[in-house]
Amino acid sequence: MNSRIEIETVTVAPLSEEERAELADSLKRCSEGTRDAAFQFRETGQLILLPVIILGIIERFLEPEIRPKLKEGDGSLKLIDDLGIDSLTMMEIIVLVEESLDLSIDNEELRDLRTLDDVRIFLDAKIRNIPVPEKNKHYSVEAILAAIPHHVPFLFLNEVSLGKEEAIGSYTISGLEDFLKGHFPDNPVFPASIMLEALGQLAVFYLVTTQTSDARQPVDPKKIFFTGCEAIRCQRICVPGETLSLSIKPRAFRHPIAKFEGKITVGGETAAWAEDISLTFDWASESDNSE
Amino acid sequence: MCLPVGMVSSDHCRLIGLLMSRVFVTGLGFISSIGNDEDTVVDHLRKLKHGIELFEPLQVPESPVKLAAPVKDFDVESYDPEDWIYPSKYRLRREILRSFSPHVLYAYCSMKQAIENAGLEASDVSNIDTGIYTASAGSSRFLHKSLEKMYNRGIMRCNPLNIVSSVAGTVSFNLVSNYQIQGVSTGFASACASSGHALGFAFEEIRRGKQKRMFVVGAEDCNFDSIVPFAVMRALSLSTDPDSAARPFDKNRQGFVSSGGGVTMVLESEEEVARRGATVYGEIVGWGQASDGYNVAISHPDGRGLQNAMKLALKDAELPVDKIDYLNAHAPSTPIGDLSEVVAMKEVFGPNTSPMISSTKALTGHGLSLSSILESGICMLAYKHGFVPGSANIDELMKEAEGLNIIRESLDRKPEYIMSNSSGFGGANISLIFRSC
Repeated sequence: MNSRIEIETVTVAPLSEEERAELADSLKRCSEGTRDAAFQFRETGQLILLPVIILGIIERFLEPEIRPKLKEGDGSLKLIDDLGIDSLTMMEIIVLVEESLDLSIDNEELRDLRTLDDVRIFLDAKIRNIPVPEKNKHYSVEAILAAIPHHVPFLFLNEVSLGKEEAIGSYTISGLEDFLKGHFPDNPVFPASIMLEALGQLAVFYLVTTQTSDARQPVDPKKIFFTGCEAIRCQRICVPGETLSLSIKPRAFRHPIAKFEGKITVGGETAAWAEDISLTFDWASESDNSE
Repeated sequence: MCLPVGMVSSDHCRLIGLLMSRVFVTGLGFISSIGNDEDTVVDHLRKLKHGIELFEPLQVPESPVKLAAPVKDFDVESYDPEDWIYPSKYRLRREILRSFSPHVLYAYCSMKQAIENAGLEASDVSNIDTGIYTASAGSSRFLHKSLEKMYNRGIMRCNPLNIVSSVAGTVSFNLVSNYQIQGVSTGFASACASSGHALGFAFEEIRRGKQKRMFVVGAEDCNFDSIVPFAVMRALSLSTDPDSAARPFDKNRQGFVSSGGGVTMVLESEEEVARRGATVYGEIVGWGQASDGYNVAISHPDGRGLQNAMKLALKDAELPVDKIDYLNAHAPSTPIGDLSEVVAMKEVFGPNTSPMISSTKALTGHGLSLSSILESGICMLAYKHGFVPGSANIDELMKEAEGLNIIRESLDRKPEYIMSNSSGFGGANISLIFRSC
């Protein structure tokens, strides 16, 4: 959007010789690039350095076999599920980030940081001293069941996190899904058609839960149906035990059609993506509500 | 007569015919100044080889004390556990190490060794009938470092795990979580009597049928911060000769040599021993504890508390005094401490019934909270390997000890009943009695 090359800066406290030595010691297990970026940031305050520092610090606390995941640059990676970061490790990361960036962070602020993007966005706002963008709202499986007409055994969402312009969900393939007995015998593979169904369910959840600008009245969950999808590509076989990370973004919304694009990843690897998932919908009318 | 719950003594149990379980030692793990496995420890004890050296961190002008008895093959000097070097068979992940201080690593490794030694399955370790009692004074080094960092850099800039890694109790916190202990657990802090208390109470848990199996773990750091504070009490030997510095019962003893490490003992009920077909080192048959009520740091001149502890232990084991074959003394090599114990032993054993007596601290140094469980472990090795460890470095026996059978060489003889004494600050005294199997 902005083609101008512009290096934004903030004011940070420069390091004394002693503090520099202390920070070097604290960051001794981070990569050299991370250390250099931290020193440079404390000299220049260049915001462009933040992602390197933050990812470098997170990487330092990960088990070696998990570190390559970070390199893929997938911001939707979950701190707990994908990276194995527990709450104590999160505290260690925060203490080191605070020291490196000269920040102070309250416990309260950490509560909803679930993905790498959450962390990046949160710290970016903190360092700019601007309000942290509203965090995604999380919905449990009970909340999902209450919102959409789908039900077990044909519900493919375990949880949903709703942002302003996207919905993120997850579904763990238990291996107990009935259709896996036939798809395929002795070789259970999660069907591509069900992947599309899962993205569709996430889109339905988005439609009935968000108040889009065009919507003057609520969408009726019972009046949403799939009409088509322009393109779908599956790039990875998904099997029991794996967790599908689903995301959809709204692309168009004009009664009676809403269009979405969707993506599924597993542990940071793209499993499938879909363009223009189209749903028809209708408003919840007075008469329907009274039924 | 109706006895309130919790008031049932062993005497009462015998009176009313309640069945009390016998308690056996079925596993040992040593991370000590004289060896990190059973064979090495036995070799040191038999040949009177000590673990004392000019300890590198003490070779600075400001330290009046130069000797210590550190654990070998462990380099845990760094404040950062990720820097530590230790035997690869104990290799631990960062998330586990991050809440350790040095002695917790010793404790962890000794427990792993003891579990293997006892032949315990994971399900034997983690169940509601298996508990753990620990003894350590915490890590003054790690506590000091974390507070220093807090003052210098700010309260919120410290390692979030500073507290659990350093305060007294850290051994329990870490071992209970890492070994998934589900039975009883607590830590004891009675200075040099701590692991004796842990062992005595663990014995009670099984004897009274509350637990089937207990781990007893004692551990201490061995570094500048754990050692040097004792110098101002004039409790440490200032000698620079590793071969003669620790000399319990010697006329010219001048103080103890500090040590650290970790020792774990596995206790099991008779029923569990039979069920598992476990190999047994020995049996615990009684214990006594009593306090001096005298001074915060100096033992009673007549060893009043220790006398009472020994008498109570004999009574608990229903044993006449002349049945004790060997006594592993507390005797740390301090002028006052050794003398109190000598007076107490003479009082208890009388002029003609002295058991063989030695203080193995001449070889191991004094491991503080660790010492009682280390020495109880040594008694178990005496059973299994059929020897009595001698009291090293006595050039001239203190005249007050004349009449006591203090043995100066290790003897190839399997004792039957062994008594082990420990005394801590504040005049806390423990005496434990074991029987060979």
